[in-house]
Amino acid sequence: MFSTADLRARKRALKIFWDKFNKLIESIINEEEPLLEIPKRTLANTVYDESRKLLLLGTQKLTRRMFDAHEARKFMQTLLMARIIYEALLNDEYPTIRDLYYRGKHTIVYRDHKGRIREENTWDEQKESDSVIRDLEVLLGLLREEMLILSKEKGKVVGYMRIKSGDDIIDLSKMGHGAYAIESTPDLIEFLDVDAEYVLVIEKDAVFQQLHRIGYWKKHKVILVTSAGQPDRATRRFVRRLNEELKLPVYILTDADPYGWYIYSVFKIGSITLSYESERLATPSARFIGVSMTDIFGDPQKGKKPYLTEKERKHYIIKAKPADIKRAKEIINYKWFQTKQWIKEINLFLTKKAKLEIEALASKGLRFLADKYIPEKIAIKDWIE
Amino acid sequence: MKYMASLETFKSLSPAEFFYRNREIAGFSNPSRALYQAVRELVENALDATETHGILPIIRVYIDRTSNPMHYVVSVEDNGIGVPPQFVPKAFGQVLFSSKYKLRQTRGMFGLGAKMAILYGQLTTGRPVEIITSPVKSKRVYFFKLMIDIKNNRPIVLEKASWSKKKEWHGTIVTIALEGDWGRAKSRIIEYIKRVALVTPYAEILFKGPDNSYFYYPRVTTKLPRPPREVLPHPYGVDLEAFKMLIASTQESRLEDFLVKSFQGVGKKTAQDLLRKIGLPLDKSPKKLSLDEIKILVEEMKKYERFKPPRADPLSPIGAELIVLGLKQILQPEFVTAITRKPAVYEGHPFIVEVGLAYGGAIESSNEPILYRYANKIPLLYDEKSDVLWKIVNELDWRQYNVSFPAPLAVLIHICSTKIPYKGVGKESIADVPEIEREVRNALREVARKLRSYIQKKQKVEETYRKLTTFVKYLPEVALSLEILSINPETKEKHVDREQLIDKLLKVLSRKISEVKVSRDLINKVIVSIE
Ligand SMILES: Nc1ncnc2c1ncn2[C@@H]1O[C@H](COP(=O)(O)OP(=O)(O)O)[C@@H](O)[C@H]1O
Ligand SMILES: [Mg+2]
Repeated sequence: MFSTADLRARKRALKIFWDKFNKLIESIINEEEPLLEIPKRTLANTVYDESRKLLLLGTQKLTRRMFDAHEARKFMQTLLMARIIYEALLNDEYPTIRDLYYRGKHTIVYRDHKGRIREENTWDEQKESDSVIRDLEVLLGLLREEMLILSKEKGKVVGYMRIKSGDDIIDLSKMGHGAYAIESTPDLIEFLDVDAEYVLVIEKDAVFQQLHRIGYWKKHKVILVTSAGQPDRATRRFVRRLNEELKLPVYILTDADPYGWYIYSVFKIGSITLSYESERLATPSARFIGVSMTDIFGDPQKGKKPYLTEKERKHYIIKAKPADIKRAKEIINYKWFQTKQWIKEINLFLTKKAKLEIEALASKGLRFLADKYIPEKIAIKDWIE
Repeated sequence: MKYMASLETFKSLSPAEFFYRNREIAGFSNPSRALYQAVRELVENALDATETHGILPIIRVYIDRTSNPMHYVVSVEDNGIGVPPQFVPKAFGQVLFSSKYKLRQTRGMFGLGAKMAILYGQLTTGRPVEIITSPVKSKRVYFFKLMIDIKNNRPIVLEKASWSKKKEWHGTIVTIALEGDWGRAKSRIIEYIKRVALVTPYAEILFKGPDNSYFYYPRVTTKLPRPPREVLPHPYGVDLEAFKMLIASTQESRLEDFLVKSFQGVGKKTAQDLLRKIGLPLDKSPKKLSLDEIKILVEEMKKYERFKPPRADPLSPIGAELIVLGLKQILQPEFVTAITRKPAVYEGHPFIVEVGLAYGGAIESSNEPILYRYANKIPLLYDEKSDVLWKIVNELDWRQYNVSFPAPLAVLIHICSTKIPYKGVGKESIADVPEIEREVRNALREVARKLRSYIQKKQKVEETYRKLTTFVKYLPEVALSLEILSINPETKEKHVDREQLIDKLLKVLSRKISEVKVSRDLINKVIVSIE
């Protein structure tokens, strides 16, 4: 009933849980103070590894003690979450993070120090239970996908490629007008064969669909992926595997604005909130193909002509909002954006105060996007590393 | 303008007539206040007749309606020393007749109270007072029905009877009909009875109102406060008039002997020294002193510094122990303390300050301390805000004593003295006397300090329990989680049991929190349910 990939993953996760928590149990039997040492998931403990070009978790750890007034609740939540995940693993289940939230949520009715009856929920919002799932991931060195926890995924892929998911073989070139939805546990996918030159990741689902319909991937031998906005973990892991295992170059196409840049950097080096996963999720060699500021305005220094005419610019450019400016100023301070090319990009944005959506290029003409803009940029290596 | 010669007429006013005309002085200003005052006077006489003489009081107070909706009958019964029959008419029918014109602390002191109530009743209802009494050693019970001849300040005995005692009983029952207003007086009267009970835990008090309201305060101790002992006046506390009265009643023919015999704190040597200073002959007859000589003597006595200080023997403080008992019984607080200060003196009058303090429990929180004021054991209910005691209590910085308002705090202050310095004629509030203020302030600080250390201790214990609760409430959840996490994925066997884990965790916890006992039943105490 279960695929062998699943069974293996389950067995491994169970063993890691069992080893970790039996140590805690033993310390309690020995009447030692119960505590968990968990790597800190804070910006201060996020390190940018220059050589590997990855955002990584630092070495700082927090000690979560059961008998510390400030930590007691979190301690209880951590163990409660560990137990329901462990139960799900034992029972061959695939809970979602929402399931775990509901399974663990109950009410403790107790009498306080003044004798008043009080009620307290083990957790109130899913934010709280999600946070302890992340703590468990870093505590156990186990991604939630590896604990067979599912989450809503929105990444899609098409291309000349065959994969094995579960016990089924799927041809990603035979998805009709639809696309293959990248599963929650991309590590359990087996790559069978592939015929592609590169991977193109598109931020916008609509643009992905347009390129799919006109057969862009067939013509150019491309694995076409969309993250449909901020990339989720499964999409990032899938792209990483395409790059690492199949040695395919990865190009990323986003809007020309600070949010687009950040999406690119999440694919490339990882995110601040999930820095502990970077090592498995990031694709350090990913390239930013566009849309860049110099695509819009040109680069006189390099003799680059803009892709848009004066008139088109007037038409398609959107004025940057104060929030965009603020975000750009933040981003320019991130270490991993402090390269010559990026500083130029961001400064150009800050002086022109202009942003552009990929759709604008598609409006200029889908053919323009598919037959000129993308292929040309790849051909002349006009990307940002 | 033309002046009309008018004929001015002169006459003297009998004391009865004077006090009737000025009845608001004695508290009989309107039907509501009069009903309250009548109860007060009779209850205070009953207490004077019992505890002052070493008898554990049993007092019953009844207020009944009559056919006239404005009229009530007040009846107070006690187990006191009774009144000898020959004195009954004057004691109840002649204003300013009393057995308490002595230098000792009693509630009544002026021979006025009962008569004002009787007078008021007589004028508003036309009905006589009824007295049933039997003195301690008497074999008979006496019954009187009498009225007061206001013009001549004389009793009129309407009926008189006596019978032999069937059972061992001594005491007095006084019954007065008067115009009143129960609806308005009710809360004050009930409060008054409660406050009396508060400082007389050795008394059994029953109260029954006309609307069947019923209060019973049982006796909670057989310990009586030390009775007052009669003393001679102290030279510092005697004014010109009082001095003249002493001369009038003395048998002594030599000034020196008169001073020694009529005053406390004056020995032969002191008397001689004083008289020599003033230049009065030691053997002059006191009755022959001129007014000027008396004036000089009174003045010089007040300045003279070598008298022994006034004695506290005439005072009868309640005592810290009884105050604590009373506060406990009536207010049911969680903390109570009281102190009786050492006797002190103002203007030649000895006084003692007592302060009790009750906190928490059944006391309701309010924005300022609830104040119970007493003067010579009489509760003071009116004019609270003009009382120096109120000022002192509210000026204290309670935050310094870990009390932040609203707080459940009650303060009892008792001043006893041979002369209470009242403010105004209403006798409901204490005047600002520096010596008394100082004593009250010190006493208050002393009890407040005790309260502070109680609150601090309590807060510490509470804090410990609060901490403990945060841990204990999660314990079952953690233990259950660990039990499941101990399932071996291969064999599906559990390695530990949650009960075992709870025991172990409690052991670790008890090492961390040593202030309170951490035991198994703590879990059941804290956890109500897990849903
Ligand atoms: N219940 C009583 N038992 C014994 N004696 C009483 C009682 N009520 C009044 N008397 C006597 O009557 C006197 C007059 O009472 P009252 O008019 O109230 O004046 P005061 O109480 O100031 O002396 C008292 O001094 C006391 O001797
Ligand atoms: Mg009296």
